[in-house]
This record gives sequence, C-alpha cells and structure tokens, in this order.
Amino acid sequence: MATTACFIIVSRNDIPIYEAEVGVAAKREDAAQLHQFILHAALDVVQDLAWTTSAMYLKSVDRFNELVVSVYVTAGHTRFMLLHDSRNDDGIKSFFQEVHELYIKTLLNPLYLPGSRITSSHFDTKVRALARKYL
Amino acid sequence: MDPARTPLGQMLLEEITPVVMVLSTPSVEEACLKNGLSFLQMLTPFCSFNNIDVPVRTASDQPYRIHKFKLRLFYGSGVRKPDLKVAEEQLKQVITDSGEKVFSELCTDVPEINHELASSEDRNTPSWFQFFNKELVRVASFSDHEAFDHPVACLLAVSSKDEQPINRFVDLFNTNKLPSLLNDGTMDPKISKHYLLVHDNQDGPTESRASKILTEMRSTFGTSDCLMLCINSSPDAPIKHQVNPWASQISDTSPNQDLDCFLNIDDINEIKDLMQDLTSKHIIPNMEQKIRVLNQQVSATRKGFKNQIKNLWWRKGKEDGADSLNGPTYNFNSIESQIRVLGDYAFMLRDYELALSNYRLISTDYKIDKAWKRYAGVQEMMGLTYFMLDQSRKEAEYCMENAFNTYLKLGSLGQQNATRCGLWWTEMLKARDLYKEAATVYFRICGEDILHSAVMLEQASYCYLLSKPSMSRKYGFHLVLSGEQYKKCDQIKHAIRTYRCALSVFRGTTWSYINDHVHFHIGQWYASLGMYDVAVKHMTEILACSHQSKTTQELFLGDFLQIVEKTGRTFEVTKLQLPVINISSLKIIFEDHRTFGSPSAVNTKEGLWHSLEEEMIPSFTAAKANWLELQSKLIPKKLSQSNVCVAGEAVKVNIEFRNPLQITVPVSGVTLICKYSTSTEELTSNENELSLKTDNEVDHFRDMSSGNSSFLVSEVDFSLGGGETTMVQLSVTPKAVGTLEILGVRWKLSGAIVGFHNFELSHPKKNIVKGRRKPKHPPNEKFKFMVIKSIPKIQGSIHSLPRKAYAGDLRQLMLELRNPSEFPVKNLKMKISHPRFLIIGSQENAKLEFPGCLTKNIDSVQSVTHANPNIMSDTVFSFPVDTSVQGETPLLWPLWFRAAVPGDISLYMSIYYEVADISSVIRYRTLRLHYNVQVLPSLDVSFQISPSRLRIQDFLVRLDVVNKTSSESFQVYQLSSIGHHWEISLLQPPDAIFPSQTLMAGQAISCFFTLKKSRRLPTLEYNISTTHDRSDDVLLVPQCSQDLVYNTNNVPLVNFHHYERLQQKVSLENLGDLNTVDFVLISRPLNSTINHGLSDSPHVMSHHSCHLSTSSTGPISWLVDGPQTLHHDFSASFCEINLKMHLYNSSGVTVFVRIDTSDFDGSGGHLNSVNAVQSATPDNPAGWHDVTPVNELKVTSNALETQPGKALSLESVSPYIWSGSSSTNLHLEPMSSAEVPLQICVFSPGTYDLSNYVLNWNLLGDSDEMSKPSGKCQGYKYYLTVLQST
Repeated sequence: MATTACFIIVSRNDIPIYEAEVGVAAKREDAAQLHQFILHAALDVVQDLAWTTSAMYLKSVDRFNELVVSVYVTAGHTRFMLLHDSRNDDGIKSFFQEVHELYIKTLLNPLYLPGSRITSSHFDTKVRALARKYL
Repeated sequence: MDPARTPLGQMLLEEITPVVMVLSTPSVEEACLKNGLSFLQMLTPFCSFNNIDVPVRTASDQPYRIHKFKLRLFYGSGVRKPDLKVAEEQLKQVITDSGEKVFSELCTDVPEINHELASSEDRNTPSWFQFFNKELVRVASFSDHEAFDHPVACLLAVSSKDEQPINRFVDLFNTNKLPSLLNDGTMDPKISKHYLLVHDNQDGPTESRASKILTEMRSTFGTSDCLMLCINSSPDAPIKHQVNPWASQISDTSPNQDLDCFLNIDDINEIKDLMQDLTSKHIIPNMEQKIRVLNQQVSATRKGFKNQIKNLWWRKGKEDGADSLNGPTYNFNSIESQIRVLGDYAFMLRDYELALSNYRLISTDYKIDKAWKRYAGVQEMMGLTYFMLDQSRKEAEYCMENAFNTYLKLGSLGQQNATRCGLWWTEMLKARDLYKEAATVYFRICGEDILHSAVMLEQASYCYLLSKPSMSRKYGFHLVLSGEQYKKCDQIKHAIRTYRCALSVFRGTTWSYINDHVHFHIGQWYASLGMYDVAVKHMTEILACSHQSKTTQELFLGDFLQIVEKTGRTFEVTKLQLPVINISSLKIIFEDHRTFGSPSAVNTKEGLWHSLEEEMIPSFTAAKANWLELQSKLIPKKLSQSNVCVAGEAVKVNIEFRNPLQITVPVSGVTLICKYSTSTEELTSNENELSLKTDNEVDHFRDMSSGNSSFLVSEVDFSLGGGETTMVQLSVTPKAVGTLEILGVRWKLSGAIVGFHNFELSHPKKNIVKGRRKPKHPPNEKFKFMVIKSIPKIQGSIHSLPRKAYAGDLRQLMLELRNPSEFPVKNLKMKISHPRFLIIGSQENAKLEFPGCLTKNIDSVQSVTHANPNIMSDTVFSFPVDTSVQGETPLLWPLWFRAAVPGDISLYMSIYYEVADISSVIRYRTLRLHYNVQVLPSLDVSFQISPSRLRIQDFLVRLDVVNKTSSESFQVYQLSSIGHHWEISLLQPPDAIFPSQTLMAGQAISCFFTLKKSRRLPTLEYNISTTHDRSDDVLLVPQCSQDLVYNTNNVPLVNFHHYERLQQKVSLENLGDLNTVDFVLISRPLNSTINHGLSDSPHVMSHHSCHLSTSSTGPISWLVDGPQTLHHDFSASFCEINLKMHLYNSSGVTVFVRIDTSDFDGSGGHLNSVNAVQSATPDNPAGWHDVTPVNELKVTSNALETQPGKALSLESVSPYIWSGSSSTNLHLEPMSSAEVPLQICVFSPGTYDLSNYVLNWNLLGDSDEMSKPSGKCQGYKYYLTVLQST
C-alpha cells in the first residue's frame, strides 16, 4: 500500500471528474492542492506522450521530487492519473485496467453524461477497494 | 547557428576572459576620484574591444584573427573568492529592487494568457534575470580549481605626484600585499607586469616631471612595459559627455545624472589607445607565448604512448595517498595545473581545439586522482568547449551533466559552482531550443538557498512556456512553486507577480484546489501589502469552496471578512459566490387578473386553473372586444403583451439561496433591485442603456438600489447553516402607475460585503410561472411589468376547513370573502374542482344548525326543493346578483364538506368577480384558493347482495364494516337504502349485532339485512326522474336514545350522494335502475377518544355505496322448487322426482330464456367447474356423492362406503339423469314470472346437487340484433336428499 496516492480522472476537456486520495498517509492540509498541481502540470506531458504510443498505459510520465505520476489514457482520451510514491508498476497497471472497466460501466449508465463528474458512491468504494488491492 | 552569437556564447566571451590585476597608489585613485570614478572604473569601459584585429598563433602554425576581445580588470584585493555573505546581500538587493520595479508596472495591467504567449519572447526573460544570473556566476569566480581567473598580467599604476615613483612601483608588487591566491601557489605569481604612470594634467603640464619619471621607469623596467596616461585634461569646467561610457559602471547614481567629468575627448581616446595597446601588443602575445611554452612542456611529458603508460603507472602508485574530498592539492607548477592553464588560455584565445584536447587530457588525471572539484571544473569547461565548437551536442550535455552532478556531490563546497554550471548548462540547452530540458535543469539548480531557488523556478517556468509545444500547465505550476519560495523569503511582490502570472493559466479551470490556493494566497498577500481592494477581489473567488474541509472554509471566510473589514467600507461585488443562488428556482409571482389566496395556489399549474375557470371567465375574444376597444389607444401593442401588475399589490419573487459551506453564513438585507419608470417610452430607451452598462454592473446596481419612492421592496434577513438551502420570498410593491422592471437581487453577507445577482444578463433562461400565455417573450420582458392603477382585490378563505379528516366526515364550512378596497365588485361566480368533497350551500344553510339540520325533523319538503337546483347546476355557482363584497363586512357563504375517499386531496376553488370600474385595463379578476386535505381511512364498508332462495324478489344483504383507524371508535348509526322501490329491514335486532354499540379500532362486524322490492309503487315509476329518491332507513342502534333518524334526502347528503353516484358509476350496464340499490351508512364518532391531529372532531360521517346490483345473474332470477328430502324404495325402481323452476324477468324488456340440463356423462365444457374438478380427480373420496347420512344408512365397512364413489367414477355413471326435456325455451315478458317443470331420475340413495343446468338468456329489445345483450347462468346449488325407504 502506497503511503501517498492521489487518483484523479480527468475528462477530455481537462476537467477533473473524479478525485480520490487513496494513500494511507495522514492527509496534510496542503497535500490536496499540491497533488492537484502536480497532476495538472503532468497533463502537459501526457498531452505529448499520449500520441506517441498505442498503449493506454503510459507508465510514469512525470515526477516531482519523490512523487511519480502514472497515467492511463482511455480511447476516449479520458485520463486516469495516479500520483504515487511507490514503485509498483504491475500493480498500478492492473489498478488502471480495473478502474477502466469500472469507468466503462459508469459510461454505460444512460443517466451519466460523459464528461460530467462521477458522483456514484459505488464507483468510489470500488476504486478505493482496488487501490487497497493493487497499490 | 554560430555558438558565439547565442546568449551563452556571448556570456562566455564576456566572462571567460583574461584577468588583469590592477595595482594603484592612493594618489592615482585621488586623481581619478575627481571624476567620481575609481581608477579601475575609469579603465573598465575601454577593456572590451569589438573591432580589433589581432592575429593569433597558438600551438598550431596556422594563425587566426581575433576581432572581439575583452579584459577583466580587478584590483589586487579583488583577486580572491568573493565573500558569500556580501554576494548574498547583493543578490537579494537585486531581486528586491526588480521586484519593486516590476510590481509597480504589473499593478496597472492584468496579465492575459494570450497576451502572455504573444509577447513571451521579450517578457518572460526579464532583464533582471540575466543580471541576476551574471551575479550568480560571479559568485563562483576565483576558484582555486580553475585557471581562467588567474591574472595574465598586472597593471601597476603610480601617479606622477607620488614621491619616488620607481620605488612605489616596486612596493606595489610587494609579495606581502599580493592576493593570497598568488602567494599560496595556486596562481602563478610570475605574471607579466606593466608599469603605468598616471599624470593629472590639472597638476601641471606633462613635460616637466612626468616625462622625467617615465624615462626613469623605462630605464628601470624596460622600454616596452612602461606607459604613461594623462588624465583630467579639461582645464576647469567639467565636460558633459553625450554618451557616458561609465553609465553601466556606476549603478548607484541614476543614469540620467551626468558626471562632472574632467576627462575630455583626448583623455578618453588616450585611455582607449592605452588599453588597446596593452591588449594587442602585450597581453595577447604574452598569452600566445605562454601557450606555446606550456604546450611544448605538456607534449614532452604527457603526449605519446610512452608518456601515457608512465603517467598511468605513476598515478596508480599514489592512489592510496589521496583520499580527501578535494583530492590532492596541485601547485601552479605541477603538470596538471599547467595543463589546465594551457586549456584555459587556449579557450580564452578561442583555440577551442587545443583547449579541448588539454581538458580531455587532464580530466582523466583528475578523475583517477579523485580530485572531484577539479574534475568537475574540467568537465564543465569541456562542455562549454564542445558548445563553442558546435559539435557533438550530446557530448557537451553529457559533460555539463557530469560536471553538475559532480559539483552537487561535493555538497556545500560545490554549491556555487554547481549553480554556475547549471546556469551555463541551461543556457546551452536554451540555445538549442531544448527548453523543456532547460527547465528541468533549472529545477535541479534549486539548492538550499530559498531565494535562489525561487528565481530558478521562475526561470524554469518561463522555459516551459517557451518550449514547443508550450507547456502552460507546467509553467503555471512552477510559477506557483516559485511564488511560494519568494513568499518564504519575504519577497511578497515577487510572489504576487508569479501567482498572478500563474492565474492566467489556471483561470477558468475546474481544478478546485488549485484555484483556491492561488486566489487565496494572492488575496492574502495583497492584503499584507495593504491593497485590500484587489485582495477582496481575489478572495471572493474562493468563497464557495464546498470541497474544502471545514477548517479551511472557516479560514477562507475568516480571512475574507477580515480583509473586507480592513477596507473600512462595505464592499460591493457582482459575482459574490456566497450564498449560491439557485437561479432555476426563480419564480415570479404577480397578480394581474389572477389573484391567489395562498402560496400553494400559486404553485398549482396554470392549466389546472384554466380548465377550472373556463366556464366562468368571459372568452378571450369577448374580453378583448370589451376592453381593447376602450384601451387600445392608451396601451401600445407591445405592452399589451407584457406582464401586468396592479399598483399597491406586491410582485413576489421566490428565490432559493444555498450555502455550499459547512459553516453558518449570516445573510441580511436581501432585497430586489428594481427599476421604475413612469412612462412606457422611457423603458424602451433604457434597454439599450442597460446593455451598455453591463461593464460596470456594480455602479449600475448601486444607482438602482438607491432609494426610489415609487416602489417598496421588502427586506429579508436569514442565516444559512452549513449546507442549508432556503427559499426566500422577496417582494416589490409598486405604488404608482408606470413600468416596473426587476433587475436582480442584492444581499449583504456577514454585514460586510454586498453581493448582486443580475437575473437577466447572467442567465437568459428563466422559469417564469406566470409567463405561460406569452412564451415568446424576449428575455427582458419577463421581468418587466406594466403597473396599472389599483383595482379591487378580493381576499378569501374557508373557515375551519380541517387539514385532516376521516373518510366520510361531513361538515359545514364557511367561506369568507373580503374586499378591502372601496371599489365594489359584482357578478361573483365560483367553481370548485371537487364537488364530491365540497358543495356550495345556500344562504339559508348558514342559519341551520349543524348537525341537527340533517335529521328528519326539519321539514323535508322545503329542503328537497332547495336540493334539486343545486344538483343540476353543478358546473358554476353564481352568487345572487345583489351580492356585493365591500368594506369591512365580509361575505360569508356556507359550504358543505365531506371527505369522500381517503388520500391527499387538493381542493381548488376559483372565485370570479368583475370590477365595477369600467376604465380599468383589467375587467375581471379571479381569486384562486387551494386547500389540501388529508383524508384518513375510517370505516371500510362493503355490501354483498345475494338473491334469496326462498322468495324470488327478496335479497339478502350482508354489510361488512371494518374500522380502519388506529385509535378511533365509531358508532354505526344508520343504514339507508336509496332507491325508489326498496325496503330494507334488519334480520336481527340491533342489540344482537352491536352489544357495545361501538366499533373499536380495527374491529370488524357483519350484519345482515333483507332487501325487498317495495310492492307499494307502480311498476313504471323508474322511467321518470329518479332524483326524487325515496329512502328507507334502518337504525342500527337501539331506539332507546333520543337520536333521530338522519334524512338522506336532505340538503348536503343528497347532493353528496348525487356526486357519489356519478363517481361510482364505473361500468354502467344498461339494465336500468331497477336492479341496483344505493346504501348510505351513517356513523358517528364517539367523543370519548382523544382526537389529536384532527382540528375538530367530526360529528357525522356518511359512507355511500352506489349502484349495488341485486341481479348478479342477469335480468332473470329463478328459483328451483322441489322437495328437500324424500324417501324411495330403490329396490323397487328408480326414483323420479318432479321439480319446478320459477323464473322472473326483472328487466324492462322481454327475455328469451333457454334452460339446458346436462348429465354427468358429457364431460364437455359446459359442465360447471365443481363437476369438472370432480371428474378430473376421480380418486378423491370426498366427492359430493359421499355425503351419505350415517344415521340413515346402516353401518357399513369403509370399503363399502367408498365403493359407490369409486364405481361411479370409474364407470362414469351419472348418479341421476335429467329426465324431463333437455332444453326448454320460453319468452318472458317484462316484470313477469313463469314456471318450468323439471324432472330427474335418481338410481340410488344419496344427496344430490342439482346445479348442472344452464340458463341462456337473450334480451329481445327493440334494438337491432347485433347489440342484443345475452348471457348464460349456471344453476345454483340445490341439494336433494333421497333416502332408502324401509
């Protein structure tokens, strides 16, 4: 389990549609904004990188001090971004794949407008469970 | 690209240049100070040569030419490592100064991202960055591991005024005074000296003393090394130079302040010539000379295979000795130092190939020696040399990185060098357009020094912006990081600047934490600078921070209020996010010709009212014809379509405020912003004005909100708890005729800040409740009202209407109408949506006493006459013509209420009245009342009517009453049958049914009645109106009490019954009324129980059951008549039994009846279900044929007992057969009876069910054949027991 892990889903319009702090470390007051800053800045890198490969999992794309940003880009250019300090590449990959499945299920919901904020508590609990399992 | 032209190239050409040590006597300085300059400063501007042409020949034989050259001059005292503390202070000063400067510029313009990108080339590298970088590089100068700072020459200056100038020269280069670096052996102390005699012309002409000294000098030091300089030739008045060459030297004085200069043009030219001579004739040749010497030396010792092997072996040998961090110390005359010097000299003379080969040579040596600092220095120079050669970029970068990392490894020792190396590295990357990489390097340069890292981060951010494609988000992030560092070292202005730049990136993003962070900090910092207005502007952005934790929310709000307080005035902003206004909840309620009695009436759909009022209000065209004829000239067409409101009557606006925070927010002074104009033309002109004014909405609103006497606005204060939502009703009451427009809403948050919200401009889509009629409004129209002069408005209410009632509850209510204005109204009409629940009474009813009026002692004749018209005109009730409502006395009108069915019932009433004043725009108005009644289930009444098998016109009625309430007890009082020819009577006395006379909660009872057709009435009575119903009543309580019988033909009951009949008419069979009966059960609650929840305990409750059909079998009823039991001797013969069937036609037409009897052997479809089941399960011993009376039969074995059954079913022999005619046809006249004989044969004793016959009937009416109703009736059970006679 990673000590720090911040998971964000960013829609294709660069709007965060889901945010979760899934690390075990006690939440610091400035952590949320720092994580957002790092992830937001990493979008620049993703933007270039996403078109250079056909793989969805881009591995770690950016880093800030000891925090690493791993990104997974779906076909619809929704980006799953994980800020983490552990080096568990396989786990992260599996995490992203499972979250992708969950995300697709969310998309299939006719009441969910793609690109809007994911408010489903079911989705949230599932993501947190996956984080516990893989990260 | 020529590397020399890049910023880095230029920097290197300026920075890595030969150093000349200047040693001067005090009198020289004195002479120079007359010009406000030191000797060094005086010479410096003339040390860089842009167009000299010096041929240079270094190690190779091929000479080349140098066109640009520069010397660096240092005093002897300056030839040492710069003091870190001083340097720090200096750097800090640089930053602070630039901060002030940039900030003052920044305050005027707001950075825009587009603007930023467009002008990024010049903007993003502010000049002070370069200056700062240069200073940083200088901090690392005169390091002992590098040779390019070693002085190549020494300039000794002695004034002609000095005593014994020759001795002075010698003294100046006294080893004691020389810099320590020269003395301790790091630098070569044997440097070429040049002797300069400085003569101040103000002291006298040159010839006399100075030239004498010069000749003396020449004889002592040699001709070539002695020079003379004459200064201050300008006789008396100071000269002002057009271009001040020293401007860049003296930073303390402002550039436009001219120096008082005694140096004339000739002096300046002399200095220039002197320096050029010194450079081209002495310094450069000296360096060439040294390079050649060193090169030979190096070649001799190090070049060649033999030397290399020797070197390697020799190095290995002394490996163990050198383990310190810096490696071994090298003297200036050690071969390593000499190689380094050779390399640096070559570099300075731009023989990069030579320099590189030497650097390479030495680099491995240092590495083996673990002299890391020197190694790094050499690597650094290698990188730069590669760059200047413009070859092998990768190699260059590798070298720089290697050097950088090596420096970093050294820790604090190498910090300055690392910074310098990093800066060069970034410049190198920038020169090659690798901005992204440069940014990462900048990021790595950030050391412990916060201020430096702030600047580095900011430079990194600009690199991100410049990279292609530009990485604006990284730019923003690094700006924020940099701003944070600036803040840490109190460079608030810089911090604000960086954050503001970052804001241009983050503006409009939905990354909430980022937005909050940036705005909050800018706000805070502006506040700390005392710029509260700007601070407030930023702080307002973060108020709606629902995603933040509670403490953060408190912090934000607290800081915000504190800043607002400091501004010392109430702030007014247009986009205040707290509380959030739910604009979709906006509802405007106004009363034109529609007026409302209660808020709930307002919320009712307009269509519902429309359908209710359709019959009352004059049709649209008629109305138009009425008032448009009169008013067409007064009202322009446009306004005739706009909303109308009446002066003196409030226009209400419902709006929802939501608090997104978790903390309580006090909101006060919530008012509407309205605009009033007296004429209609003004309004149209104002529209344009309004659209122009949107820019300064605040001012505009302030104008609007300032008091206007022509309308009144209400003010609301409330406090919103965490996450709460409040619906607020605001109102504006126009006082005069004109035009009123609602612009928006204003409120005051925490008593400190005023927020505005413009309804129209921000949200074009509105939910206007009352705008139904004109859906194609231009948006502004919806908030615009034409105010007309005041007209009467009736207020109405229903007294004592219960909110909760039990089903069946019957009450008398009173409708009260008031007209507060002095104008009369006329032609009142009323309509009620649910006449089943509410019936309009008559004026006479008001005098009646309830519930006494229901009983039969009132003269029934009178009430009946009143009842009839009410029932007929159930659509619209018109009040009597002379009814007028005016002034103090209200109009009271009785209403009857009965809770018909359980559930939540909405009662709508609409009262129409016409305004007497004919000149008014509105001719009529309607008052709409809406009440909700919750009806609870009370008694569940059900009836079951079955034909009596004893008499053909008699029926048995079973009444089931269940008390469905949880606590109430009821007394079932009376049952009345309503119908023209029914008589009802109890089977048992009431005491037997209700011993306690009450029906407790949850209790159920059944009682039985007989219902028979009254013989008293003539047969064709039903053809006439049946409204004049007779009723027959049965009291269900013992007659001991003095209670009276309720008259179901009396006013409210009969009316309600009428509506109940209409309601319950579900599937009407056209059988006529003859066979249906209506019951009314009247019950009374017992007062003993506590009626909590009910406003008033009910008195009488009535339950109506209508259209109960007596003829479940169709128009015919029949009765099989025969013996029940008979004895027969089966040993003799089978038994023949004669039966008789009585048939009666209860319908009004002739019926054709066919009676089909069927035997059991035919297991076809016409058998009834009981028989079918029996034949399908033959093993079942419990069939009907087993019912053999035991007492009659002799005791037999079980086997015997079951035998007949089994035998029967196996053989499928029917126990009896119909022996008469199998089918009988007959016609039955209306209301007549007939008899049909039937006969069966029985073969064994037993009990038989004679139900297997079918009656098919057809109505033979006058109607055509197709629609003839017909039916089929199964026979009913008729048991016949045949016993074996003895």
